[in-house]
Amino acid sequence: MVDSAKSAVSAPDKLQLPAPTAWPIVLAFGIALVFAGLVTSATVSVLGAILLITGAVGWFRDVLPHEAHETVPVLPDTAVIQTSRREVARLGVAPGVRRAWLPIEVYPVSAGIKGGLAGSVAMAALAMLYGQLTHGSIWYPINLLVAGFFPAAATTAQIAAFNLSALLIAIPIHLLTSLLVGSLYGVLLPMFPRRPILLGGLFAPILWSGLLFSTLNIINPVLNKRISWPWFVLSQVGFGIVAGIVVSYQARIRTWQNLPFAVRAGIEAPGLMTEKDQE
Amino acid sequence: MSAAIITMPEPEVQWTLPSRGRVAMFSLIAAESAIFSIFVVAYLFYLGKSLSGPTPKEILRVPIVFTICLLSSSITIHLAVRSLQSGKLGAFTRWWFLTFALGAAFLAGTAIEWRHLIYDEGFTIQTNLFGTTYFSLVGLHAFHVLMGLMALFTVWLLTLLGNVKREHAERVDVLALYWHFVDSVWVVVFLVVYVIGR
Amino acid sequence: MSTELIAWPRAPESSVPFVERLHGWVTTVDHKRLGLMYILYAMVFLLIGGIEALIMRIQLAVPHNNFVSPQVFNRLFTMHGTTMIFFVIMPLVFGFANYLVPLMIGARDMAFPRLNAFSFWLTAFGGILLYFSWLGANGLYGAGNAPDVGWFAYAPLTSRTFSVGHSTDYWTLSLLVSGFGSIGAAINIIATTLCLRSPGMTLGKMPLFAWLNLVMAGLVILAISPLSAAQIMLVIDRYLGGHFFDTQAGGSAVIWMHFFWVFGHPEVYVLVLPAFGIASEIIPVFSRKAIFGYPIMVAATVAIGFISMSVWAHHMFTVGMSSNANTFFVLSTMAIAVPTGIKIFNWLATMWGGKIEFKAPMLFCTAFLFQFLIAGLTGIMQGAAPFDWHLANSYFVIAHFHYVIVGGILFTFFAAFYYWFPKVTGRMYNETLAKLHFWLFFIGFHLTFDFMHIPGLLGMPRRIYTYEPGRGWETWNLIVTIGVVFQALGILVFIVNLLWSYFKGKTAGNDPWDAWTLEWSTSSPPPAYNFAVTPSVKSRRPLWDLKHPEDPDWRYE
Repeated sequence: MVDSAKSAVSAPDKLQLPAPTAWPIVLAFGIALVFAGLVTSATVSVLGAILLITGAVGWFRDVLPHEAHETVPVLPDTAVIQTSRREVARLGVAPGVRRAWLPIEVYPVSAGIKGGLAGSVAMAALAMLYGQLTHGSIWYPINLLVAGFFPAAATTAQIAAFNLSALLIAIPIHLLTSLLVGSLYGVLLPMFPRRPILLGGLFAPILWSGLLFSTLNIINPVLNKRISWPWFVLSQVGFGIVAGIVVSYQARIRTWQNLPFAVRAGIEAPGLMTEKDQE
Repeated sequence: MSAAIITMPEPEVQWTLPSRGRVAMFSLIAAESAIFSIFVVAYLFYLGKSLSGPTPKEILRVPIVFTICLLSSSITIHLAVRSLQSGKLGAFTRWWFLTFALGAAFLAGTAIEWRHLIYDEGFTIQTNLFGTTYFSLVGLHAFHVLMGLMALFTVWLLTLLGNVKREHAERVDVLALYWHFVDSVWVVVFLVVYVIGR
Repeated sequence: MSTELIAWPRAPESSVPFVERLHGWVTTVDHKRLGLMYILYAMVFLLIGGIEALIMRIQLAVPHNNFVSPQVFNRLFTMHGTTMIFFVIMPLVFGFANYLVPLMIGARDMAFPRLNAFSFWLTAFGGILLYFSWLGANGLYGAGNAPDVGWFAYAPLTSRTFSVGHSTDYWTLSLLVSGFGSIGAAINIIATTLCLRSPGMTLGKMPLFAWLNLVMAGLVILAISPLSAAQIMLVIDRYLGGHFFDTQAGGSAVIWMHFFWVFGHPEVYVLVLPAFGIASEIIPVFSRKAIFGYPIMVAATVAIGFISMSVWAHHMFTVGMSSNANTFFVLSTMAIAVPTGIKIFNWLATMWGGKIEFKAPMLFCTAFLFQFLIAGLTGIMQGAAPFDWHLANSYFVIAHFHYVIVGGILFTFFAAFYYWFPKVTGRMYNETLAKLHFWLFFIGFHLTFDFMHIPGLLGMPRRIYTYEPGRGWETWNLIVTIGVVFQALGILVFIVNLLWSYFKGKTAGNDPWDAWTLEWSTSSPPPAYNFAVTPSVKSRRPLWDLKHPEDPDWRYE
């Protein structure tokens, strides 16, 4: 049995089990016949009703005043519960600890958001540099970002000119997207805990650019027509590297997955965890 | 590596489980409630959709007295179970019989009402949609009252024969649960048929 | 573990005369025997329902076929659907729950052993009553014998006017009888899981199979009861001249649809939740990892239970409900994909990085994962009302729900058959035959149900007994029928394997899979009392704790 050491002492010789009885089948057959009578003939229903009453009474007498039991002998069972597999050596996580959930420490989600904000500044700077170099206007990329709100027939000169309302729309769009990407970054960080700059500086820009490359025609056709993809990827990489650097300066926090559920749920009670931190 | 060294202490076994009788009765009540709710929904859905008369307002009389009978039987059965739990068999027998009598009175009330509707008003289950839904909903409830009465009567007989003792209080309590359910269903049926539907 | 000990329980059986053994089975209240009877009963009806499907596929293999008459075809699809749902999968669900739940929670029997026997016999007689219609309903001129109104029996087809004779009554009454049985069995499962757990097994440590059966039983109570209520209404209409579904008297045909699908959709989850439970037991054992995200699995199960009560009218988008109702049911249908998706990810995460052994049970469970995913995706397609207006009542729907019921549910039940066969019989099944069964059935399944989607998209309606050539449906239908042949061969191999292994299989021992739940701690087959000493449990994997006393689970849960 499960506790084989104990069962050798306390397993009884005999056990009481509910006695077999025919009344349930009689009762069930009675009910079935009552219904079958509706599609055959009334006599069947009458027979069913008789069986039903007999079965109910018989069943009743079976369980009252005492439920009928039969005694069965307990068979000897010498089975020992053990694994049929090879025992393997295990990597020690710490002295006396056999299991741990890795990683033990990760960057917090807030690190991603901070990184996103810092990255947004870097990206804006790179984009304006692009506007200055190619069209001689730092407003060019800002106007392009909001070009989805303007008629598609806008000329290059119009786009390069300063436009206050475009600026006011562009800033929230830029900030919101940066924050979203940053928090996405923060959520992804625990899965790639080691190299935040590589994740932010290379993988994320490539994925993000790929996503935009395939959808930009729908979101912002004007931008799609005029976009310079090398510069776009470059500014993304700038965003990612800055964000990654900011993140890597943040403090790591411990993951909670090693904690018991009660601790994670915020229940504070003594004895929930062994205090080893003071060592 | 300090973080991984957190483990649960050995759990202490303190083992109590709910009573299987009560759990099963609550499950049965859930199933019965589902059946009743379908009939109630049908009743409400078909309110005023009958193509021909009579309407509820024309022929239904509110069975106030019998309703009071049934609802007060919930109190008497509660008192009966309480007496049994404290071992007062005499009080139990009396309260239990009173419960049975009140339930039987209610059933008789339904029978009188149906007799009036069928023979005096010529209103049957075939008359119109109102007849179909009315007789099936009230009939379903009456069927449950009948089942409950049969069980109550059996327990009463067993008590008279001296077979019901204090240790049976739990089983009797489970039966009382069913009776409370039958009563509370009547509250719903009463509201739907005689208050909202009229 | 000597072979003598394993053979012990079987030796006296064979020396007892047949009549007495039969008497023993008929009067038994033992949960294991009742479970086996449920399963055997389901197997018989699986064969019958399968043969009905085979006949229908032969009829549809080529256009203008005359293998069966239209009338017989109507009876076949009605009986096939009713049989497979109510008399195959439901008994399989209850059979496995009956056999395994007490063993898994360390109990000696179900909470109400006699009620258990009673429920089984009600279900059994219900099925017999249904099939008696082939003989019993004959008589009146023009009246059919077996029910022919489709498995959801829409009004007004079921009214006296359109269904003369007793064929529809057989359908109604047999489902009423077996429905009472199902409610009894469900009450029993709830009481067992809540009240008979062995010491230490809190609800948070109960095996997932028991958890899923608990939720399943709750759904049975809330789903079968409305069906019973609707059936009672139908009986009132047909026998007492009521007008519930009589549109001539102001009754509504649509309300029957609502009542039926209030049952019908939770019913799908009644069938699939135990399949989830089986997968949740088998996948960890064959991946050699504990289940990933146990609390979330439980939470997702309960969420499915709740949401499944509010999605029923996605079966009725073409009926003409208000656009508000359509929107609500689209959204709730989409919502139920979330907990289901969580489950699929958790199973994948359980397999991820595990040391996976592709024995037959694991093969079936792996196939289940992918097939159930596809079934869920086509479900989302039809869950979007506008798309459903195109797809409703086409073969696409048939393909979708067979993907769920065969590709999802039946595959896991095959896995369960193989996984627990050594426990039930004490003998190991034949792995080669099991793999042959898997591949035959897998190929057959995909031939049939992958290609069935296409004629549905091309507009082939369900329930037609034949079709015109030249609509582009012929090739697809032929492929579908060919797939059925593979499936039938697979089932044949399965049965041969079960029979052969029962008599000639190698003795399996108590714990052939090195598994972790309590049923593997008792002998195979388990003695009548299951456990001589009630086990006490400290974690979700009690046998792991015993096998690895130096590193028990309860330190980490």
